[in-house]
Amino acid sequence: MRPLDWIVLVASLVSIIAYGLYRSRGSNTVDRYLLAGKSMPWYAMALSIMATQASAITFISTTGQSYVDGMRFVQFYFGLPLAMIVIAAVVVPVFHHARVYTAYEYLEKRFDSKTRALGSLIFLAQRGLSAGLTIYAPALVLSVILGWPERLTTVCVGATVVTYTMLGGIKAVTWSDVQQMAVIFAGLVISLVTVIVLLPQSVSFGDAVYLAGAAGRLNAVTTTFDWNDRFNLWSGLFGGTFLFLSYFGCDQSQVQRYLTGKSIAQSRLSLLFNAVAKIPMQFFILFIGAMVFVFYLFVQPPVLFQRAELARIGARGEFAPIAGQYQQAYEDRRRAALALVEAHHSGDPAAEERQKGAYRAAQKEIDRTRSAAAQLVEKSGGEAGFTDTNYIFLSFVTRYLPAGIVGLVIAVILAATMSASSGEINSLATVSVIDLYQRYLKRDASDRHYLMASRCATLFWGAYAVLFAGYARRLGSLIVAVNKVGSLFYGSLLGCFVLAFAFPRVKGTAAFAGMIAGEAAILWTAEYTNISWLWYNGIGCAVVLATALAISVARDGAASARPASPRSGPPQPA
Amino acid sequence: WRKVYQAVIVYLAVVIAGFYLFTRAYR
Repeated sequence: MRPLDWIVLVASLVSIIAYGLYRSRGSNTVDRYLLAGKSMPWYAMALSIMATQASAITFISTTGQSYVDGMRFVQFYFGLPLAMIVIAAVVVPVFHHARVYTAYEYLEKRFDSKTRALGSLIFLAQRGLSAGLTIYAPALVLSVILGWPERLTTVCVGATVVTYTMLGGIKAVTWSDVQQMAVIFAGLVISLVTVIVLLPQSVSFGDAVYLAGAAGRLNAVTTTFDWNDRFNLWSGLFGGTFLFLSYFGCDQSQVQRYLTGKSIAQSRLSLLFNAVAKIPMQFFILFIGAMVFVFYLFVQPPVLFQRAELARIGARGEFAPIAGQYQQAYEDRRRAALALVEAHHSGDPAAEERQKGAYRAAQKEIDRTRSAAAQLVEKSGGEAGFTDTNYIFLSFVTRYLPAGIVGLVIAVILAATMSASSGEINSLATVSVIDLYQRYLKRDASDRHYLMASRCATLFWGAYAVLFAGYARRLGSLIVAVNKVGSLFYGSLLGCFVLAFAFPRVKGTAAFAGMIAGEAAILWTAEYTNISWLWYNGIGCAVVLATALAISVARDGAASARPASPRSGPPQPA
Repeated sequence: WRKVYQAVIVYLAVVIAGFYLFTRAYR
């Protein structure tokens, strides 16, 4: 980081937070503090929804994933537009008419208090676990790449987030998100342009795309179906739809974004903007990773991008032959890439196929030697399942990008961390106060009292996230498990909301039992099968529906399991 | 809104078809 980088970084972050706090003046009632007085325009909600979903790891990891595995991760988002249509058509009007602060408050209006309490607790458990990781994951990467002390980074980021979230409530969060997305878009565009400019003179943009494709890095659509494969067209369309229905329809960190809308139409527009913009945005991020891959065809990359681990295994005797093989494979690949471009321009299909074979063989050898180095990391006491994916993009940025742009990219990473974290902390505080404190501990206090309780809850969850992040390193490989935990809880929540919207005669006890059964089914699937986690939400939802409808029929007769007619729409609570 | 939802579905179909052709063109 050079002086110009620090100037860009600090100026970006200070202006974001100052603008957020300026726009949040007057958040002095619970309604304004938690729902912005339902005054938000669609574009602010749309960018806030996008910013809350895009954490730092989205940018760090997605570019790295494209570098090592190509662009097929984009298929994960194919279900998002379908989910957004369902939520815009069904969920938004129900929540708006019900005048709720949280999604789980609606469950009591529709079912009963125990179903609301279970929904709230599932959300607090799941989102509470990820709140610390949202701050910890980028701090870990920045500590390796830039040498920043991990704990200092988590405390600085956490304190900043808590300050503006606690002072300004959801208005500060939303308007900061708008600014953060502006910085993120600018950073991404400048990164891509810079990568392309840094390519050798003899390699045009068309050649770069051709080379990335020949190495399998532009595999945006895979049509083969496989239950165990996370990313193909079918898992994206079907599994992804269920996942995004759960995330945008049942997770308070997203629901609260569109509950702040001026009207149903404004909230719908904010969701449909994401339905249209999210896939191209992810494609763009993945494409940056593919271009970084092409850049490293002509500039030798390290065997592993995680410098600390590379230095550690570098001293071991077993590493020398791996490094030698890697060096040879890199030279072979560079020569093959240049020959392939030449053959491609010559228009000789036979020569092109021959060079393509040599190019792919060299790439395979590079993948093999990198894999051997990663295994050596594990074998010599490193973390189990070691991968350097999260370090690829930032290694490239800090080593090759010019002064000022490095600062901008680091600002993108920190802005994404803060926008995701502020949304989580804000929603955790809202559910804690509205669904638990106000409902069970202090029912008839003044608005001023609940406003103060909301600020205290924000401070509590912010401090919790920072403390969790501080101890996350000691959790070791549990981090991986905790990340997976997110997908373990959504399915049963989704099933409960589908019951609420689509089966107007099903009652609370059946829904409650269905949620318990759905959760058990997801945990069983995760423990005893190899089915990819992308399918858990659909499985959990199906078990909730089957169980609740069976109980409902047994208790109240077959008519109780009749779905709502498409004309009447979901039931509106009184 | 029905027309808006239909437009989003058509958009998704076009995007997937575009990505599919992109993948085939550059593999």
